[in-house]
Amino acid sequence: MGEPFDFTYILTFIPKLLSTLQITLFIVAGSLLIGMIVGFLIALPRLYQIPIVQTISKVYISFFRGTPVLIQLFLFYYGLPELLKLAHLDVSKTPVLAFVILTYGLHTGAFMSELIRASVMAVDRGQVEAAYAVGMTGYQAFVRIIMPQALAIAIPVFSNLVIALLKDTSLAFTLGVMEMTGKSQTLGTLTQHFIESYIALALIYLVVSFALEKFLKWLENGLLQHEQQDTSVRSTRLTLRKNISYRRIVTEMSTGKGGVDL
Amino acid sequence: MIKLNNISKSFGRQQVLKDIDLTVEKGDVVVILGPSGSGKTTLLRCVNYLEKPSDGEMIIGDYHLNCKYASKKQIHLLRQKSAMVFQQYNLFKHKTAIENVMEGLLIVKKLSKEEAIVRSVALLEKVGLGNKLEAYPSQLSGGQQQRVGIARALAMEPEVILFDEPTSALDPELVGEVLSVIRKIAKEGITMIVVTHEMSFARDVANHIVFMDGGVIVEEGTPVELFNHPKEERTKQFLKRITPELNYNI
Ligand SMILES: Nc1ncnc2c1ncn2[C@@H]1O[C@H](COP(=O)(O)OP(=O)(O)OP(=O)(O)O)[C@@H](O)[C@H]1O
Ligand SMILES: [Mg+2]
Repeated sequence: MGEPFDFTYILTFIPKLLSTLQITLFIVAGSLLIGMIVGFLIALPRLYQIPIVQTISKVYISFFRGTPVLIQLFLFYYGLPELLKLAHLDVSKTPVLAFVILTYGLHTGAFMSELIRASVMAVDRGQVEAAYAVGMTGYQAFVRIIMPQALAIAIPVFSNLVIALLKDTSLAFTLGVMEMTGKSQTLGTLTQHFIESYIALALIYLVVSFALEKFLKWLENGLLQHEQQDTSVRSTRLTLRKNISYRRIVTEMSTGKGGVDL
Repeated sequence: MIKLNNISKSFGRQQVLKDIDLTVEKGDVVVILGPSGSGKTTLLRCVNYLEKPSDGEMIIGDYHLNCKYASKKQIHLLRQKSAMVFQQYNLFKHKTAIENVMEGLLIVKKLSKEEAIVRSVALLEKVGLGNKLEAYPSQLSGGQQQRVGIARALAMEPEVILFDEPTSALDPELVGEVLSVIRKIAKEGITMIVVTHEMSFARDVANHIVFMDGGVIVEEGTPVELFNHPKEERTKQFLKRITPELNYNI
């Protein structure tokens, strides 16, 4: 591809790419926000087994987990405006970024809802009963007892989701969004130093992923404070128990990126 | 006073409780005995409405409930009249000992934080855990966890505390500390219904024994009546099986 390999290009590309990092992070943050809200709304009918709505949730999840994000991006970007035209809504002036965030948000929502559902179900049934027994309402029990525990269980898988999302956002360049991957394409084309631009890009993704992972790990340690031990015997026992609930979720989520379950 | 009238409970087609009538006076310590599967746990859970009785009537203190037509709000109110001590302790895992006791005081009783702390400390001291206030359940032994569970139940000042085999998940050397706490609060006049297989505890502490089998109350009476002069054949057989030494005592 083009010019011979030149190491110095990597160094000059990095700051240029970093100038678009904010767009990538903006897509991640926006999608996460939408994803969490949507995920919660999609998870509820399944947790409470509300007929019909529950089935809609399942179909939604299957669609977003069972089709490639790339196709989802195309469908929303090219298909949604057509659909809205039928309802006499003109969205031709809406920025591409909005479609991108919407698609990734809905996509993340599907995974998030599975995560929320699995985590809530992994909380020991006895905890809810104890909450009821001291006289709490269902809502109080959920907010005070189940949620904090489910959150602690969910965080490790949540970290994986965030990092997968970060990497997935690279596909936004196919719609012409100038996020990091898009920028690296442009730099490559301009200078004919594609390899260097991809190396620079990979390095940045690596560092950001690593930083995100560390941050989420730190958060997890805070939330799992109650499982921190003072004696070694108990700590092995508890690590075991923690691993069991973690494994249960990981198995449930193991279809992770790719599975369809109708 | 607690009064159960015609309490029935079915799981699907299997009827687990059949027309249970039971009266517990204020300050009574009632022990429920019975073979596995006889419905003891289910009965306790019905009183606390962790299971919804299929039929019957419940009076706890001044609160009266017809189980067939109970609304969510009524159930919520009834639940506050009783507290439960679980076989598996079921302490809130993400909360310290004192937070476990405070939780109901803050959220259900709506006490101020200061008041909740004062009361919780006093209760944890009463169950001998004044030095473990800030420990998480995972840092406590089974016996200690169960004593926190008892403090948590006491904090709600319920009409009755329900104990479902409170010591059967414990290592033998920890059973004593929990039983002695239960004994102590029984002496203070707290009304309680206890499911247990600890016969000596039943003899010493209970003033009323109920023997259940197959979802019905087969026989009930004072410990002396039930242990020394059981009338029903099923009771005799059960006692023979569970306390062989009784045969020599009589
Ligand atoms: N949630 C449930 N669904 C279906 N059947 C149940 C349920 N809970 C209890 N049962 C059945 O009800 C019957 C009574 O159970 P219960 O737990 O009340 O007995 P128990 O007297 O407490 O026994 P144990 O001494 O073993 O604790 C059993 O046959 C049990 O299988
Ligand atoms: Mg039982």
